[in-house]
Amino acid sequence: MLEVSELSATHGELQALSGVSARVGAGEIVALVGSNGAGKTTLLRCIAGLVRPRAGRIRWDGEDVAGVLPHRLVERGLALVPEGRRLFGRMTVDENLRLGAFPPRALREREATLDRVYTTFPRLAERRRQLAGSLSGGEQQMVAIGRALMTRPRLLMLDEPSLGLAPRAVEAIFRVFTEINRSGVAIFLVEQNVRAALGLAHRAYLLEHARVVGEGSGAGLLDDPQVRQAYLGPLAVVR
Amino acid sequence: MRVLLQQLLLGLLLGGLYGLAAAGLSLIFGVLKVLNVAHGELIMVGGYLAFWLATGLGLDPFLALLAVIPLTAVLGLALYGALFGFVVRFDEETRIKNSLLVGFGLALTLHALAVRAFTADERSIPTAYWGQTVALGGLVVPVGRLASLAVALALIGLTHLFLARGRWGQAIRAVAEDWEAALLQGIDVRRAYLLAFAIGTGLAGAAGALVSVGYSISPAIGLEWTLKALIVVVLAGLGSLVGTFVGGLVLGLAEAASALTFGGPYREVVGLLLFFCVLLGRPQGLFGRA
Amino acid sequence: MKVARRAEFRGPTAAVVTLGALGLVPLLVGREDLLNLGVVFLLTVALAQSWNVIAGLAGQVNLGHAAFFGLGALVTRELWVTGTSIGLAMAAGAAVAAAAGVAVGLAAFRLRGAYFAIGTLALGEILRISVGNVLSEISTLPAATIAGYRLTARYYAALALAVGSVLIVTALGVSRLGLGMQAVREDEAAAAASGVGALGVKLRAVALSTALAGLTGGLFAYYHISYYPQHPFSPVWTFDAVLVTFIGGAGTAHGPVLGAAFYVLFKEYLAVRWVDAHLLIFGTLFVLIVLLLPGGLVEAGQRLSRRLARPGAGAAASAGP
Repeated sequence: MLEVSELSATHGELQALSGVSARVGAGEIVALVGSNGAGKTTLLRCIAGLVRPRAGRIRWDGEDVAGVLPHRLVERGLALVPEGRRLFGRMTVDENLRLGAFPPRALREREATLDRVYTTFPRLAERRRQLAGSLSGGEQQMVAIGRALMTRPRLLMLDEPSLGLAPRAVEAIFRVFTEINRSGVAIFLVEQNVRAALGLAHRAYLLEHARVVGEGSGAGLLDDPQVRQAYLGPLAVVR
Repeated sequence: MRVLLQQLLLGLLLGGLYGLAAAGLSLIFGVLKVLNVAHGELIMVGGYLAFWLATGLGLDPFLALLAVIPLTAVLGLALYGALFGFVVRFDEETRIKNSLLVGFGLALTLHALAVRAFTADERSIPTAYWGQTVALGGLVVPVGRLASLAVALALIGLTHLFLARGRWGQAIRAVAEDWEAALLQGIDVRRAYLLAFAIGTGLAGAAGALVSVGYSISPAIGLEWTLKALIVVVLAGLGSLVGTFVGGLVLGLAEAASALTFGGPYREVVGLLLFFCVLLGRPQGLFGRA
Repeated sequence: MKVARRAEFRGPTAAVVTLGALGLVPLLVGREDLLNLGVVFLLTVALAQSWNVIAGLAGQVNLGHAAFFGLGALVTRELWVTGTSIGLAMAAGAAVAAAAGVAVGLAAFRLRGAYFAIGTLALGEILRISVGNVLSEISTLPAATIAGYRLTARYYAALALAVGSVLIVTALGVSRLGLGMQAVREDEAAAAASGVGALGVKLRAVALSTALAGLTGGLFAYYHISYYPQHPFSPVWTFDAVLVTFIGGAGTAHGPVLGAAFYVLFKEYLAVRWVDAHLLIFGTLFVLIVLLLPGGLVEAGQRLSRRLARPGAGAAASAGP
């Protein structure tokens, strides 16, 4: 479904990606983990069309999508929940969600999708008339995910969804990911929380210093001693 | 006392037009982060359009509005395509700077064009009902200007409704808050920009048309109205169209009060004073968000 | 800045030398119309340089520069015709203009750049209208002064001012204050983070800019025998300064000199054929330059000389100035 080949990109003056290749198949949950750096976010932003890569190819449904504008990619079923949530704080929860169904394809099924989102996130149903900017971090993340779901994506990409959330909220969100995936949506997850990400994912990539240094099944990588040492051990730097 | 109230009423009526003039500017600045200092010139163009339609074709000026608004909106589309569409390619800081410069150049060009086309004389559209007044609680209310205020209010109301409920209106609001996030929701930001710019320009044209009826127009009003609009936008703050309208009313009242207190020649100074007070005391404006 | 010091001074030196050469004109040619044109040119240079300081170097767009030019003219004129010496009057004019500039800066500089532009625009317009209302009659020099009027004295005063303005901008280019201004212009947040006191830099820039503008206004008052007091507050003066700086090359010391030459000569040429077209033409030209060639003639010249120096290299990438 999504295929990234030999992608290279810069972030400011830094080389964020260098010959990175990855793919996400239909119905998969794929995680991208790695230590601090601009690479992971840059990859998602390249795929979403926000950043133009220096080299390499991105294919969606077999078609090269270089230079396609971000809103067109959303129309084609690719959604990104950006880092930091980026909600429209001055609009209500309901308005934020409804706005998510902007593409015509999603607009047609807006009410049905909205019902599903409120069922998935009952807390949001309670707060639907509240201004999005006044919600807690966890609730905002729910709105961000819900808003992306409103575009009826086939692939949902998430950039650090657990950032700034309490462990309980993280658990809740990750359970939702499983639910979303079961309904047929593929997920591409960039995460700092390696344990949670690898526990959830079917497959995962390790990104270090702008390159992919490892690939494998989620469970397999979780058991890998080197991975444990680098990311999960007592000396691992966890944000 | 009666004189004071009468003057304040006239100031209020004029203030409504200030509010309408500022609304377009506020919308464009809020959404595109572009400060078009040629906004007053667009008001002037609207005024001349109305004048031409009214005197040339004999249309009633309020009817002419129905043509002036779309025509100025189209001019806005052209200006966006030729100029401001390039300015939005930069980041916010540079956008503001470049739009100030580009707008300044545009203002002087439009002003020069107007002088060539219409000469520097003042013009006004005469109508049969203009002189009529209505007595209200001991005050004399000019019917024509009251109608202008009503029209201005209606236009603001319609725009507000569009932004609150319309699909593209909400899209415009989203883009104003965070254009990248809007893009990720499938919103074509360029189209939203275009739409917002056209609406803002249309509102300016409407203000100009109303000015040409109730007051008078000349090429010189461009800068004058740009300044009024800018002061109102700063006074009211960004984010609320209705708040901007109220800001216009406040300026109108303040000018009337200061003309009475300090005399005609210093009428304009109060605007400057208000501006500096806002800057020093409450930079986000009366209704803006901090 | 790795560019060799010498190269930096090449342009400004050429400008100063050219201006200096203009000093010979009154000695060689006695024609009044040429001297008048010269004064206009030199005034334009000085006014443009003053705008260059705040906008070209410090990156703060001032849309009401005429306010400070006008204040300088107003104060100088009032003091001078009532008996003060012209030198003192001009100094007072510069001081008042600077005070106004700093006042606007204090109010606006902590906020976004748009506020400074709006504030100066408002100040300019409102001063123009108010002065026009209060002092509506033409200001004429007393008969005695007219009798003793020497055009050459005005000419040399204008020359000194123009040369001085070029030297100031050149000196700023390499001084600590100037480097601070440029840092603020490029990225204010980054500059502040690296220890540059952004507010202080901007205030000093505006003080210098408006003082120079006020001084130029004072020269205007010294030069013209009669004019309407509101005329120096007209936005056309702002436009002149902005346009000349951009055409020539904002941020450079010699740019405004080039721009002024181009502008004044072209305007003279147009005045013969189409009287009011110059605003139209220059307005369009200005917009094009802002969008397509912000470095003005200086940048165009640099690109051209690079192209000529390396004929096979095409559009060669280079470390910009």
